Amino acid sequence: MHTMTALETTIRPDTVLIRRSVVSELRTLLVMAKKEWIIFTRYPSWIIAFIVWPIIFPLGAIFTAGALSGPNQASLPAFAALAGTVDYIAFIIVGLTMYMWLNITLWDVGFQLRNEQMRGTLESNWLCPTWRFSILLGPSLTKLATSLIFLLLVVVEYQLIFGVGLIQGNLALILLIMLLVIPSIYGIGIAFGSLVIRFKEANAMVFLVRGIFMVFTGSAYPLDVLPAWMQTVAAYLPLTYAIRGIRAVSLAGATFNEVLPDLQMLAMFAVVIPVAGYFIFRFTERRARRSGALGQY
Amino acid sequence: MTMAHLSHLTWQSHLRALFAIAKKGWLLFIRYPLNAVFRVLQPLIWLTPIYFLGRSFATEQGNVGFAAYSGTVDYMSFILVGAMISSYISSVFWGMGLSLKNEMDSGVLESNWLAPLPRFIFLIGQTGANLFVTTIVNAGILLLGWLLFGFSITGNLLQALAVVLPLLLALYGFGFGFAAIVFMMRDANTLIDVSDYLVSLFSGSQFPVQVLPRFLLPISLALPLTYGLDAVRGLLINTRTLLPIPVEILILLAFMGVMIPLGYFVFKQVERRSRRLGTIGMH
Repeated sequence: MHTMTALETTIRPDTVLIRRSVVSELRTLLVMAKKEWIIFTRYPSWIIAFIVWPIIFPLGAIFTAGALSGPNQASLPAFAALAGTVDYIAFIIVGLTMYMWLNITLWDVGFQLRNEQMRGTLESNWLCPTWRFSILLGPSLTKLATSLIFLLLVVVEYQLIFGVGLIQGNLALILLIMLLVIPSIYGIGIAFGSLVIRFKEANAMVFLVRGIFMVFTGSAYPLDVLPAWMQTVAAYLPLTYAIRGIRAVSLAGATFNEVLPDLQMLAMFAVVIPVAGYFIFRFTERRARRSGALGQY
Repeated sequence: MTMAHLSHLTWQSHLRALFAIAKKGWLLFIRYPLNAVFRVLQPLIWLTPIYFLGRSFATEQGNVGFAAYSGTVDYMSFILVGAMISSYISSVFWGMGLSLKNEMDSGVLESNWLAPLPRFIFLIGQTGANLFVTTIVNAGILLLGWLLFGFSITGNLLQALAVVLPLLLALYGFGFGFAAIVFMMRDANTLIDVSDYLVSLFSGSQFPVQVLPRFLLPISLALPLTYGLDAVRGLLINTRTLLPIPVEILILLAFMGVMIPLGYFVFKQVERRSRRLGTIGMH
């Protein structure tokens, strides 16, 4: 006579071992976010990235602009006619701060899955009975929190060191612009991170994407100097509107109605880009599973 | 009984080792073709915003503000020369420091260190592929500069190249010192990144150093690379130099004479300490 084992007596054939629910999925998101936070705090090199780089990175463009302006600022009126301000330092800092934020997101969020792939943990994580998108979304929440800390430090540093107030003018309006651009930035990061597990050569892709944004969004110069075709490309990039909006509010005291067209574009991007990012993730993830590329170094 | 020597060291064997290490670097580089292509295109991505920044300050007479500092309205040629020289700075900083770090991470540094090679051969070989690629990239920059930005050499190319050589040799001395830091720090990526950027910035790769605030100018003037870059520009595109060009070349030669032995001495001390402590192979 066959004796039932403990396992056989306690688990019926029709027992569901995993019960997924909204709560369990949220738990997964938080666990992934917590894991990312532990890794972040484990390596103190973030201090350099958050405190040192924001100070030194704009210096190249600022001193170059100072040289172009001339010792008696003979060329400054030409700049002011295009930019709407003689304060080229603040003008450049606003643009480069947004660019640095995008750069950090590309490296952090964009490399999230690639890092798991290189560590050899991606495949096993993919087998978990959870919404796979949370494997990317969970750490992205931590990255969002750390990037907000970064932006706060940047605001303080630029006020203390350069005397530039990034949040002059209507603070609520600036915060609204930031709120509207967050989904776009992270949607780009998620799309990027998905493509990276397919193409592997992540560095090259970072250089390309951030290069496009640096050139076309007017991060260090007025958009009006770009030829028409480049301005057309710029119109399809969310960062263009965020940079222009924040400059208008903090440097020229623009009102809500004056930046409303930029806000409308940002709101549209805030819906379209994250959705596109999610579908790119689903597409590349399905292909990677079918081709067995998930676990490939 | 005489002891048999397993290795017969000659200058030819050292040269063979040098080329083998450089070849390894080259094979690693072309193994990732997309990264290789973007390495070549990257200067264009960095130069384009600077070009448009220059356009935003241009008057009807050109960049007259810039000319008051540098002696030339040809702002893009000024930037292009700086970009080419600073790419060599980067290739030495990253070539020596990062390659050691990569070998540590891969777990091959200890075994390579046991090879009967002078350490400086090892370090120089690591930069071989990097310098070769940088030279190709710079040739591409020159071509694009000529096609898109009207770059033209109005001075003496051969004299400028003669100044680049001691500049590169002096950089190698710097690089030896940086390799020592990698040995000590394990994770020196951030340090190399920041140092590379600051050295390029303060040596005037993007702007005439006279534009710096007074409290920062001494940093720039203390860097011999500043004079090397200034001399190359003065010879190539006839810019106004900080000091007479012969004086700047002398400073560069003195720096080269000091930095190479000093940098290597520092590296050897740190390496000896690492071997004694057994930390060479530590990740």
